[in-house]
Amino acid sequence: MTSTLDKLYAILRRDLLTAIRYRSGFVVNIVGVFTELAAFYFLSRAIGPGFRPGGVEFFPFLLVGTGLYTFFLMSAQAFLSAMQEAQQTGTLEVLMTTSTAPAELIVLSAISAFAGNLVNLLVYLFAGVAVFRAATHANLLSCILVLSFSLTIALSFGIAAASLQVAFQKGSAVLWLFGSGLWFLSGTMFPVQSLPRPLELLARALPLTYAIEGMRKALLDGQSVADMAPTLVILAGFATVLLPSTLATLSWSLQRARQNGTLSFY
Amino acid sequence: MPTLEKAGVCCLAFAILGRNRLYNTESSKPDLSFVRARRSTLIVQRITFHLNMEQVVFESVRKIFRHRPAMFNWLGRERSGETLALKGLSFSAGGSEVIALLGPNGSGKTTTLKLLSTLLLPDAGSVRVGSFDTRNHPYHVRRQVGVAVATERSFFPRLSARENLDFFATLDEVAHTERNVRINQVLQDTGLEEQVDTLVMKFSSGMYQRLGIARALMKRPSVLLLDEPTRSLDAATTAHFWTTIRALSQRGTTILLATHNFAEAAAVAHRILLLHRGELLADRKIALTETAESIRSFYFNTTGEVDESHAASLHRMEP
Repeated sequence: MTSTLDKLYAILRRDLLTAIRYRSGFVVNIVGVFTELAAFYFLSRAIGPGFRPGGVEFFPFLLVGTGLYTFFLMSAQAFLSAMQEAQQTGTLEVLMTTSTAPAELIVLSAISAFAGNLVNLLVYLFAGVAVFRAATHANLLSCILVLSFSLTIALSFGIAAASLQVAFQKGSAVLWLFGSGLWFLSGTMFPVQSLPRPLELLARALPLTYAIEGMRKALLDGQSVADMAPTLVILAGFATVLLPSTLATLSWSLQRARQNGTLSFY
Repeated sequence: MPTLEKAGVCCLAFAILGRNRLYNTESSKPDLSFVRARRSTLIVQRITFHLNMEQVVFESVRKIFRHRPAMFNWLGRERSGETLALKGLSFSAGGSEVIALLGPNGSGKTTTLKLLSTLLLPDAGSVRVGSFDTRNHPYHVRRQVGVAVATERSFFPRLSARENLDFFATLDEVAHTERNVRINQVLQDTGLEEQVDTLVMKFSSGMYQRLGIARALMKRPSVLLLDEPTRSLDAATTAHFWTTIRALSQRGTTILLATHNFAEAAAVAHRILLLHRGELLADRKIALTETAESIRSFYFNTTGEVDESHAASLHRMEP
């Protein structure tokens, strides 16, 4: 009997093989990481050392904010693109006739897409620290907890995008949300305290705000789990609510697509 | 155990033991064993029918597709309303039966296959595979059903044939220890053994189609659904594929084959279901002496469609 772990391994292997066989894509990705980091490095130098949002240097502040934001956006985008491509080629229909439950399959595929982008995030952060000398003072346990909750929340967004794609062929609406509003509301490039009060309140309703804030506290400030307990509790709350609810939505949308015959619509 | 069933078990065992011989038929050889194989398949099928009755059951199945146009429909005039794809379709298929679904485009053949594969749910009536209803037990149904669809590019282009098959076999819960043996077997059955490590993005249409059939065979399904399986295949591969179909049938696999190819129906099917506008116009056994031409005549006589190629050939014969 094939276990869920075997299936996850098969999906991860498929995605890894596909990624490394796009040789130029691999190189472009690495060049993209260094270009982005260089841009933020020189931006922070231009602004000068006097600007220290939340008491930390601006470049590390940007490193964490843009890294996590890109992780959320790119993961959802990669997963959704893979799903749309599978719809267009007919692969999705074939996958849905295998012995693996459709919802399980989509969740495992999302995990694989997010795992790939997690590696990108780690490379991004490592390059920022090692090459561009971003000052960090990491608390490893806090970092792992923030990353775990962030990953769960990001996965929920991916599943929500998949549900919208299956039900209404509008998965890109989630990407629009990320692309348009989230980057400046979630404190990616400046602290949310700089926003007008109503927008700050709106920012406080977004899980990405807490993910970025939590990672800055854990990676740049070295705060312990106890120190940053309120942020961790909020992140855990978002993860606990979002994952089951998006899974339920996914099951509903798959059932609806099977009833209406719209599974392969895109 | 009644005598008839004992005989059935013996025949079934004989058929299973003999499957390798049937599988290993070389594609380049002319298929001279066709009538003999058909006859033995029919004998086994008739006896095993008592052992494994009603592997597939459709009971008064209705399927409606609703067209819901987007906003501002006056701009593009998208079709609204609904299409009644199946109008109370009922039939059953026993173990080891090969059924050809015939009918013009839009008659409901693919909808029938999609309902069996759980890609669609019926609006009324029930669809069962073995003792499992597709609505209530989709997982158990999917474990038994293999699907080869006409969609060519339903593979991961940057994986090789082996990697693709291994991936789908994992999702089909084929044991890790068995996968390699099965991959080699199905690639040999479909004549792709030389392309085992070629990335499928380099495949031709016919090779894609063969790989689709190989994928469907990987989990050794008890019900095999084939949608125009030989549409892009060359003559030798088609003949070899028909031999494989007959061998699978002898092993007890129920096969539903949607096709427009009358020669294919004559070569492999035991029964024809003729669909027209979602209704079952005819459910007819195929005699051993049946030819593609007789099925063609039956098709056009029953559906009332005009056989223009026949009319053209008569026209050419006129002085």
